Amino acid sequence: MTEINLRLKKKLNEVFSIEPNDLGIDFITFYFKKITAYFKTIPFVYVIPFTFLISLVLYLLLGKLLIRLVTILQYGF
Amino acid sequence: MDFKTFLIDFFTALIIVIKRFFLLIIYPYKTMRKISLEKDYYQLLIISVSVFLYFKFIYFLRDKPYPATLIFIIFFANFLLTTSFFYLLTKKQASFSSFIFTFSYSLFPTLIWFLSTSLLYIFLPPPRTLSLLGKTFSIFFIAFSLSLLIWKLILGYLAVRFSSKQNFLRIFYMIILYLTWFLPYSVLLYYFRFFRIPFI
Repeated sequence: MTEINLRLKKKLNEVFSIEPNDLGIDFITFYFKKITAYFKTIPFVYVIPFTFLISLVLYLLLGKLLIRLVTILQYGF
Repeated sequence: MDFKTFLIDFFTALIIVIKRFFLLIIYPYKTMRKISLEKDYYQLLIISVSVFLYFKFIYFLRDKPYPATLIFIIFFANFLLTTSFFYLLTKKQASFSSFIFTFSYSLFPTLIWFLSTSLLYIFLPPPRTLSLLGKTFSIFFIAFSLSLLIWKLILGYLAVRFSSKQNFLRIFYMIILYLTWFLPYSVLLYYFRFFRIPFI
């Protein structure tokens, strides 16, 4: 029982180690929490389709420039 | 401490680092929260060694390179400057070791991007062409780089959040303040040919 209490206490201390975010205006805080919830667990489910869409849009907008940017980035290591 | 204990501690830390690498992909928030309470310094040693090995590896790819040890020392100085900057801004509430651990783990996206770019440099050397394959590769490469950048931003934000225990707005201002000196500093590093893209 003591062991369980200690583990529970440790977990609670870990979870409540920081205060919840408050952005000052209620509805902004509400939407901030809604959006950031997607980044807390398996963010790549949203990130990968989003970045593919962004890179496709960038290609359509920039064309040749994007290809040159990739060449520059490939020398960037 | 004898050699056997060292080996056991080292391999335990290695398993934890590998496990946390995957957990940072799946549960970045929970994992970073745990990392901020970490006290096992062997994990830092493993991450540092992997960064050093990367610099050793690219030594053979770069044109007129600096020694890997020098590049590592400069990286280490960058790392200490960054962690100390955020620590000094929030000294009262935070512990320095928490910053060191969380920022070390947030190096994973950087390391993956730099390593994969170096490997692509060997297997698909630039320049990219306007052929269909060249265009497709470019779109994939940008998507891949952006994904890792977003992962890096998530981990970077969580590192500051759990170490400093500040709220979003304060962290946002801290990052703006950080960029005001870090961007010119990165240009300086580029000018002296240490890093083309800052390794942070």
